[in-house]
Amino acid sequence: MHTSTLNRILLVCLVAVCAIWLIIPFTMAILWSLVDPSEPWTPDKLFPPAMSLYRWQNMWENSSLKSALFNSYTLAPLAAILTLTLAIPTSFALGRLKFPGREFFKMVAILPLVVPGFVLSIFFSSLLFQLGLTGSRFAAILLAHSVLFMPYAIRIMTVSFEQVRDDHVNAARDLGASALERWSVAYLPALKPGILATLLIVFIQSIEEFAIGFIIGIPDFVTIPTLLYSQMGQDFVRPNAAVLALILVVPNVILLLILERLLKSANPAMSSGKG
Amino acid sequence: MTAREWIKIALLLTPGIGLILFFVGSVIYVAIAQSFGLYNLAGESKLSLEFWELLSGKRVFARSIGYSFFIGVTSALLSVALAYPLALWLRKPFRGSLLIGALLKAPLLVHGLVAAFLFVNIIAYHGVVNQFLQAIGVFDGPRRLQNDDKGISVLILQVWKNMPFALLLLTGAVQSISDDVLNAGRDLGAGSFARFRRIIAPLSVSAMQAALVIVFIGALADFSFQTIVGPTNKQSLAQYMTFFSSKGRWNEAAVVGVTMMGLSLVGALGLTLAAKLVFGGRK
Repeated sequence: MHTSTLNRILLVCLVAVCAIWLIIPFTMAILWSLVDPSEPWTPDKLFPPAMSLYRWQNMWENSSLKSALFNSYTLAPLAAILTLTLAIPTSFALGRLKFPGREFFKMVAILPLVVPGFVLSIFFSSLLFQLGLTGSRFAAILLAHSVLFMPYAIRIMTVSFEQVRDDHVNAARDLGASALERWSVAYLPALKPGILATLLIVFIQSIEEFAIGFIIGIPDFVTIPTLLYSQMGQDFVRPNAAVLALILVVPNVILLLILERLLKSANPAMSSGKG
Repeated sequence: MTAREWIKIALLLTPGIGLILFFVGSVIYVAIAQSFGLYNLAGESKLSLEFWELLSGKRVFARSIGYSFFIGVTSALLSVALAYPLALWLRKPFRGSLLIGALLKAPLLVHGLVAAFLFVNIIAYHGVVNQFLQAIGVFDGPRRLQNDDKGISVLILQVWKNMPFALLLLTGAVQSISDDVLNAGRDLGAGSFARFRRIIAPLSVSAMQAALVIVFIGALADFSFQTIVGPTNKQSLAQYMTFFSSKGRWNEAAVVGVTMMGLSLVGALGLTLAAKLVFGGRK
């Protein structure tokens, strides 16, 4: 069989599979979120008999959605900024300086990714109890998120620092630029895509993080994933869970698409405007 | 290097790697210490094997280990086995390959809990799967498909969520294999499977190992998929550990946590070695 014909057949099969795996589930989630309580959606009906935005309004007014949104969307940008700030000096050392053990430290940096998430969450909370740091759940989760997502920040920023061109730094120095000026003219343009990618990836990871929010946050501190989890467990009401699932997924898809564009444009030569 | 340079490097590494070492190291230390009766939050701390002995006598603990290990290994193998042919298919761009890549990567954008909800919707008592199977006459009436005893739902979700990640790693690896090498294999009479077994797999074994290990550790420590769609007669290790910690039984939670870390290490090493032994590694 000709390769292009085979590709066409495989493409049709895959689109059909993706329709089952993506389009149908999301369509059902949207339909469930629009089910009006006046007439339930029973198995004998293909579509909900009555549709309205009641569930959206109801979730907004009568659940912890507002505080969950506030908590998640306050936590995530702060976690992103804190993680980036903490990662920059380390990434500078790993990306620009030569010293014995550099590769070992790069391996150590990925430690939070290889320890199972729930073990980290549970014993991190145990550690906080021991240290008497449970006064602010917000601060505890913020710190935990920063540690947990540090590997992404260190990895991205180390690569960004490695790609800063020495001739740009040297040229700036030769022209008499101070340390601050060298930073702004030689480093910053090349680091910008990495900085934005780090901020976005930590933001998304923080918004999505469940284990720490669940273990340290419950019962007072609710985030969107912990609220969704509670709605899918003992309080399972399908239309409400559909509303929350859509609230969790839509902004993330948009942000991740922006992230992909940023990572594609992460060419320091281009971003510094010099080839 | 001078002492001054070392101090500078240490100061630069402290906010990032220092913080990781302090917290992750402390977490591992606390878990191990508590599993041996030390570092207790309440009551007397005393070095003892009491909690290990207590849990090793429980059948539910042994079952959790077996079940979590099964989910971890099966998810890793299935995700990689499905991702390989797709990565090879997408190795060279063709009309529609960008669309396929985007569709396949889409689950990466979907949160695990959302994926679980979407899946529950599909297999629900009056979800489309039940309706379809009734329509074609396989089922007489709607059946309960959620929380199946074998953990198939958990495996489906794990593969759905992790296969795109394995695909991402493997695509990069197989794209870097030059056509010359593959053509040479073809000219020497190697068939498709032989080319995969003797050329592609050895040259992409590092990506395969990374994918296996990362998917394995994530699936082994699964909590949310298990509690939403998993079997009700089995508990994953994360679920079992959370059960103990929620009751304030930190020592038993620590035994489960340390076991999970040990299993992660053993499983990751085992999968890495198995991939190396089966496919070998050549540069």
